[in-house]
Amino acid sequence: MIGESWQALSPRGLRVSGIRSLAIAAPVVTVLARVLAGLDWPLWPIVAATGGAGVVVVAGALAYEAARLRATRWRLTADRLEVRTGVAVRQHRSIPRDRVRSVDVRADPVRRAFGLTLVKVGTGEHADAHSELVLDSLTGHDAEALRRSLLRQEAPVADVALAQLRWAWARYAPLSVWSFAGGALVLGALYKTLDLLGLDLFTSDVAAGVWDWVTGRPWMAVPALLAANAALGVVGALLLFAESWGRYRLEREPGRLRLSRGLLTNRSLTLQERRLRGVEISEPLLLRLGGGARVKAVATGLGKAGEDESEDVAALTPPLPRELAVQVAARVAGMAPVSPSPHPVAARRRRIVWSLATVASLAALAAGATWLAARGGRPAAASGQSWPAGWFWPSLGAATALALPVALWLAADAYRALGHALSERHLICRRGTLTRRTVALDRGGIVGWTLSATVSQRRSGLLTVTATTAAGDGHYDVADVGRGDGLDLAARAVPGLLEPFLVRSQ
Amino acid sequence: MRVLPDIPKTRLGVAELRPPRNRPDPRAVAWWTIQWLILMLPVAAAGPAAFWFLTDRPLWLGVAAVAFAAGCVVLALVAPRAYYRVQRWEVTEEAVYTRRGWLTHTWRVAPMSRVQTVDTERGPVQRLFGLADVTVTTASAAGAIKIEALDHELAAELAARLTAVTQATPGDAT
Repeated sequence: MIGESWQALSPRGLRVSGIRSLAIAAPVVTVLARVLAGLDWPLWPIVAATGGAGVVVVAGALAYEAARLRATRWRLTADRLEVRTGVAVRQHRSIPRDRVRSVDVRADPVRRAFGLTLVKVGTGEHADAHSELVLDSLTGHDAEALRRSLLRQEAPVADVALAQLRWAWARYAPLSVWSFAGGALVLGALYKTLDLLGLDLFTSDVAAGVWDWVTGRPWMAVPALLAANAALGVVGALLLFAESWGRYRLEREPGRLRLSRGLLTNRSLTLQERRLRGVEISEPLLLRLGGGARVKAVATGLGKAGEDESEDVAALTPPLPRELAVQVAARVAGMAPVSPSPHPVAARRRRIVWSLATVASLAALAAGATWLAARGGRPAAASGQSWPAGWFWPSLGAATALALPVALWLAADAYRALGHALSERHLICRRGTLTRRTVALDRGGIVGWTLSATVSQRRSGLLTVTATTAAGDGHYDVADVGRGDGLDLAARAVPGLLEPFLVRSQ
Repeated sequence: MRVLPDIPKTRLGVAELRPPRNRPDPRAVAWWTIQWLILMLPVAAAGPAAFWFLTDRPLWLGVAAVAFAAGCVVLALVAPRAYYRVQRWEVTEEAVYTRRGWLTHTWRVAPMSRVQTVDTERGPVQRLFGLADVTVTTASAAGAIKIEALDHELAAELAARLTAVTQATPGDAT
C-alpha cells in the first residue's frame, strides 16, 4: 500500500460510467423520439437518430472516463497522500497524512456490482469542497487498506459495537413529517417525470372528473385520499429507512468512531474522537410522541451534507427508542444521565405570550385581508349583501378557538423542554418543542460565551447564555435561564473565564 | 479530552455582570450619527414626499407625515448616544470582554487561548474620524467579537498585542 510508486484507479470504473451514462442516454432518447415523432418524421429515421444520440452519449461518457482514468494517479508516501488528476486542467493535490481527519468510504449499487468504492479523504477543515480529496473509484480491497493505513491501523482489530441495527426500530421511521407530505410529494415527482416523457395523465378532463368525484361524495373521498397519502408516505419512509440505515453499525476503533450503514449504497464514515466535542439527542415532535430519539455527533470539521445527500452527516444513529439513545450517547461521549434543572416560570409566561400573540396576529391578518378584499372587491352600496359571506366570521372564530389550545400546549411543552445541567465533563442544555434537542457539550470545547438579554428578558430577570464552540452548530443556547443561575452556570462550566467579570452581591 | 474540575456552588450571593472597563472613542457618537442620518434621511423624506405627491393632502395625514419625519431624525440623533452609553470593551491577560446593544444587551467573552485571528478594519467615513474596529475571531462560526470605534492608533496597538498573545498560545484553539 505504502510506496513511492504512482498507482492507477481501478479500470473497472469504465464499466461503471458506461452503465451510469445510460441514465442520461435514456431520457435523451425518449425526449428526442417524442420531439421527432411530433414533427411527423417516419419511423426509421427516428430510430436511427435516437439510436445515434444514445450511442453518442454513452461513447462520450466512456471516452471521458477513459481519459480521466488515464490522467489520474495517486500514491501514498510515508507522509503524504497525493493525487494527480485532470483531463483538461492538470491538478496535483496532496494532503499531509497527519492532517487526515476522516475517511469516508461509500459504494452505490452500480459500483458495488463491480466491487468498487468511492473514497473521500477529509482534512476536517471548515473550508469548501477543496479540503476533500476524492478517489473515484478503488477496489473494495484497496479502499479498506487505504483507510486503515491512513488512520494508522495496520491490522484489523476487534471493534466494539456501540450500536447495531435492530429492524424493530423501523417502527419509528414513519414518525416524520414525510409520512404526511410523502404521498403528495411522490405524486408530484411522478407527474413531473411523466410530463417530461410526454405522458400527460392529468388532462383537464381527468382533473375535472376527479374533482367531481371528490366533491360528489366528500365524506368518502377525502378520508380515502388522506389514507392513500398517508399509506404512500409510510411506505416511502420505511423504504428510505431501510436504504439509509440497513446494515447500520456504530463501532469504536481505538481513538475513533466508525459508522457504517446503507442497504444499497454502502456508506462508512470514520470520525476521530479528538474531534468530538459532545453529543446531541434530537427528538422531533412526532418521534418524541412515539417515544423515539436519534443521536447526533457534535464534532469539528464535519462539514455539511453534499447536494445529493439528504441525510445529516452528523447523525450517529437512526431513530431508536429514547432509552437506547441515552445509552448510545453515554457510550459515545460519556454523557451523564442527569435530569436538567428547569428554568424560571417567567420563561413559561414568555412562551405563552408568544403563542397567544401568534394566534391573535394570524387571526387579525386573516380578518384584515378579508375586510380589505370586501371593501376593494365591490362597492358596499351597490350590493345588498355584505361580502364576507355569513360563514366566514364563524369559521374564523372556530379556527382560532381550535388553534388556541394547540398553541398553548406548544408553549407549555416548549417551557417543559427548557433545562440545563452541568456534569463533570459536559454542559448540558435542552430546548425546543418541534425538535427537542438535548446537547451535551464538552466543557473543554467551549471557546467563549455570549450572554444576551432583551428588554422583556431583563424585566423578567432572564438571560440567554450561549456557549460558542468550534463544533456542530458553532453555538449552543441555554435559553431564558434565571439571570443569576445562568451566570453561575457559565462561570462554573469554564472555570476562570467569566469569573473576573462578575460581581457578587451578598 | 481535557476534563475540567467543577467549582462547587459554594459562593453566596447572586452573580451579576460588571460592565467592561473601557468606552469607545467619543468620536464614535459623531460617526454613528452620520451613519444613521445617511440611512434615515431618505426614509424621513419619503413620508412627506409621498404625502405631497401621492395624496390629496388632508391635514391629518400631513401632520402624521411630518411627525414620522421628525421621529426618524430624532431616532438618528438619539440612537448613537444610547449605543455609546451601552457599548463597552475590555481586554485582560486572559480574555476579551465586550458589551453592546441598546434594546438587547449582549455581552461576549472569549478566552485569549481560543483566539484565532485578529483583524482591524477602517471604512472610508470611519477614516475621516480617525477610528477603527478590531474583530477577534475564535474557532466558532458564532464567536466573532467586534470592538467598535476605537482610536485607530489604539486599535492597531491592541491588535498587535492580541496577535502576540495568541501566537504565544500553543494548540489549534478549537
